[in-house]
Amino acid sequence: MASALLSYFSQRSPSSSHTTPATILSLAQHAPSFLSSPAAARDTPETWLLYENLLLVCLRSQDDSSARLCLQRLSDRFGAANERVMALAGLFDEATAGSRADLEAILKRYEEILAEDPTNTPIHKRLISLLTHLNYPHRAISNLTTLVSNNPTDAESWAELSSLYFQQGLYPQSIFCLEEIILMYPNAYNIFARLGEVTYVHANNSKDNKDPTQTLTDSLKYYLRSIELCDDYLRGYYGTLVVTGKLLQVGKLAAVQDDDKSMTKGKVEKLQQLATRKLAEIVRRAKRKEKGWEGYAEAEVQAAAKLLEEIQGEQAPK
Amino acid sequence: MAQPQGQMILRDPALFYWILIPITVVMILTGILRHYATILLQSTPKKQDLKSIREQRNLLRGIHLRTNSHHIPLSSLLHRKNYLVNAYQSGAFLKNPEAAGQPPANPMSDPAGMDQMMNMVKGNMAMIVPQTLIMGWINAFFSGFVILKLPFPLTIRFKSMLQTGVNTRDLDVRWVSSLSWYFLNLFGLRPVFTFLLGNDNAADQMAQQMQQMNNTSATANMFGPGQDPNKMFLAEAENLEVAAGQHEYVLDGIEDRILVGL
Repeated sequence: MASALLSYFSQRSPSSSHTTPATILSLAQHAPSFLSSPAAARDTPETWLLYENLLLVCLRSQDDSSARLCLQRLSDRFGAANERVMALAGLFDEATAGSRADLEAILKRYEEILAEDPTNTPIHKRLISLLTHLNYPHRAISNLTTLVSNNPTDAESWAELSSLYFQQGLYPQSIFCLEEIILMYPNAYNIFARLGEVTYVHANNSKDNKDPTQTLTDSLKYYLRSIELCDDYLRGYYGTLVVTGKLLQVGKLAAVQDDDKSMTKGKVEKLQQLATRKLAEIVRRAKRKEKGWEGYAEAEVQAAAKLLEEIQGEQAPK
Repeated sequence: MAQPQGQMILRDPALFYWILIPITVVMILTGILRHYATILLQSTPKKQDLKSIREQRNLLRGIHLRTNSHHIPLSSLLHRKNYLVNAYQSGAFLKNPEAAGQPPANPMSDPAGMDQMMNMVKGNMAMIVPQTLIMGWINAFFSGFVILKLPFPLTIRFKSMLQTGVNTRDLDVRWVSSLSWYFLNLFGLRPVFTFLLGNDNAADQMAQQMQQMNNTSATANMFGPGQDPNKMFLAEAENLEVAAGQHEYVLDGIEDRILVGL
């Protein structure tokens, strides 16, 4: 019981995008029986981590009473003044708040806590996410910049700042934040894929009619790095396929390479073929659920299959 | 007189039960006691205020930049390097800018340093006191006889140490008194403690001593007492200047690597 929950949570956190609603629901159904079992009373770090994850899962499936019980036990054990417990209590209040006015009240409460103790990072992060939710992007960004100037080694904050800038359309700033994460974790292939995505969108939305070739080439290189770091990265191959297609369509590619930064048409075509081949292989094997290929998320595989069909559809009339 | 290679002394087997085992049991119990006492005695780590956190983490940021500079494009690197070098040299991140030129804080006066030293002293106390007590107890109750024959030979010099209380001239050094059983246990009970108390136990004096010897300026001690943050910032600024001169962007030529590799 507890071990089943624990083993699931140790693989993925309940807030990860790979956890489907169906999984969340089934986990939440275990909650009441777990909470009344003796395994829940053990005082190990793993149990408390389980409580925290269970709280998140129950809130997501609207099981407020189990969530409240989890929160109660956590605050009994660690005290209500513990930073992490305060943040979880704030999360609970936000999730069960009735109206916008309630949320604004919670916002004010966070600001008061921070005024007393500016180092309370979990509450600071909750403040920022609530500001984003309530649609105050400027306040959220300014709070987040304060947070990262004091804690420049926190990758999560940089990632959040990057997505806020992205939403505002400030792509160079978004790329800057992602580079900060790379400086701390140079082998994070998912961040390289994200860099590719942001650069691609930047290339497509450039306001002046500048030649997007260089930006598209940069985007492609980011995706290639993510593939280099992780051989079977579906997102990386998907991105490569899309960007190579766009490059061949609108980019001005020389036939011969003149400097280190640009690519020749031949290379881009070869990369496109490579990406098509690998993506097709991944889709085929993941659909057949071959051994060693089951780790791909359902939605990603379907999206990749759809992309391949579209491209084949485009190429067929030629 | 019996010669070195066959000295046999007949011993009462009851010695085994009354001396060896009690000493071992007592040592295990005091080890466990010491472990829990150390945990209880340690004070909770004090929370650092905003300015100290800012100082430490921004220095770390400079170090990360230098270490992983090849993973971002040259323009980004230069941009960041210029910003950080300026900030370090102007002391923008310092906790108290007025103290910039003065010698580093004396551990006696700096409260943060005091804490660290007290913890070390408490740890040492918790180790020394039980050891002294047990040695005194053994000397009081278990002296004047040999109990054990070591399986390996030793030189004559060890006679005085290992055969305290038994003043003979010819007795082989391999016959030792109970104090040496204590020493053997001291070093040999480490796996037992690891089994009983988990890996990170305070009863393990060897690990502690190694830790103290090998404690080079690891991150934990970086901002401990006796370190001048301003000097560290200036040193880091120079390192960054040097590092920016050699830059090999990891994404250059990546398409060739991929096409060859896959």
